[in-house]
Amino acid sequence: MSEHGDDAVTRARKQAAAQGRAQGLEVGWTVFSYLLAGMAAYGGVGWLIGRAVHIPLLFPVGMLVGMAISLAYIIHRYGRQGSPGGVRGDGSPRDRREITGDR
Amino acid sequence: MTGDVGVLASNGCHIFNGCGFPAPGLQDFMWKPLFTIGSFGFTKPMLLAILAALVVIVFFWAAFRKPKLVPRGVQNLGELAILGIRDQILRPSLGRRGDSYLPLLVSLFFFIYVMNVMELIPLLQFPVTSRIGFVWPLVFIVYFLYLYLGVKHQGAWGYLRNMIPPGVPWPIYIILVPVELLRFFVFQPFTLGVRLFGNMFAGHLLLTIFTIATWYLLSLSVGLLYAAGSFALAIFIFVLETLVTFLQAFIFTTLTATYIAASVEPAH
Repeated sequence: MSEHGDDAVTRARKQAAAQGRAQGLEVGWTVFSYLLAGMAAYGGVGWLIGRAVHIPLLFPVGMLVGMAISLAYIIHRYGRQGSPGGVRGDGSPRDRREITGDR
Repeated sequence: MTGDVGVLASNGCHIFNGCGFPAPGLQDFMWKPLFTIGSFGFTKPMLLAILAALVVIVFFWAAFRKPKLVPRGVQNLGELAILGIRDQILRPSLGRRGDSYLPLLVSLFFFIYVMNVMELIPLLQFPVTSRIGFVWPLVFIVYFLYLYLGVKHQGAWGYLRNMIPPGVPWPIYIILVPVELLRFFVFQPFTLGVRLFGNMFAGHLLLTIFTIATWYLLSLSVGLLYAAGSFALAIFIFVLETLVTFLQAFIFTTLTATYIAASVEPAH
C-alpha cells in the first residue's frame, strides 16, 4: 500500500477509535442515569403510595421495581450493541444512533 | 492540602508529640476569605478559577494573535490543542457539521483541565472543581445549550417524543415516561457534574491523606518505613492524578459533544 494509503488507513482507524470511545462514554453514563432514574421514579411513586396507605415497605419495593424496569429497558435498548463490529447484514457500517437507538 | 500541611508544619503535629493523626476532611475544602467586600468573601478557589480562565485566554491569545500559515512556537501548541479537541472529541460525535461548536468545546476542555491541574501545582495545590459550586455553572451552560438546541432542531414536542425510541408499545410508554423524564432532566446533568466533582474531591483527599501521613509518621525509627510507604503512595496518587485531571476534562467535554449531537440530530 502507498504511503498515502497507509496514512488514510491510520487516520480512519484513529477516527473509528475516537468514535467508539465517545459512543462508549455516552452509553455508559446514559445507562447509569437510567438506573438512578428508574429507582428514583418508582421509589418516589412507592413512597407516595406508601404514605397514603401507611405501608412504608412500598418505598423499597418501588425502588426495586424501578430498577427492574430500568434494567429491562437498558437490555432492550442497548443489548443489541453486541452485533459484531456494529455492521449491518450487508456489511455496511451501522450509524451510532442506529446502534444505540438514541436521538 | 495547603491548609492542613501548613497547619501541621506550624503546629508541629507529629506522632511523637502525642497529638492524634489530623485526618483530612471537609475542612480542607473550606477556605477563609482572602479578603471581603461587604458580606462577600473572596476565597482561594475563586482566585484559582480566575487564574485558570486567564491562563486559557492568554495561551490562546498568544497562540493566535498573529497566526502564520506555517505555524511556529506557541501557535504550534495552540493548533495541536485545537486539532486534538476537534479530532478526538468533536468530530467523532458531531461530524464536520459540528465544527461551529469547536470554540465552546475547546474553552470548556481547557478551562476544566487547568482548574483540575491546579491540584498538582506546588503552592496552588487545590483543584477548583473539587468545590461543586464551580462545577454546576458549567453543567448548567451545557444543560441549557442542549435543551435549546433540541427544541430548536426538533421542536418542543418532537424533542420530548424522541426521548423514547420508536416502536415501543404504548403501555410501555406509560411505564417509561417517568424514567426518561427523570433521566433526561435530572440525572443526566447530575451525573455530568457529580462525576467531575467527585473524582477531583476524592483525588485531592487521597493526596492530602498521604502527604500529611508522610510528615506525621516521619522519624528516625521504624516509623521511617511507614513514612516512606506513605510517601511512595503520595507519589503514586500524584501520578494517577495527572491522568485523572486530564481524563475528567476529556470526559466532561466528550459527553457535552454527545449531548449536543443528540439534540441537533432528530431520531432515526
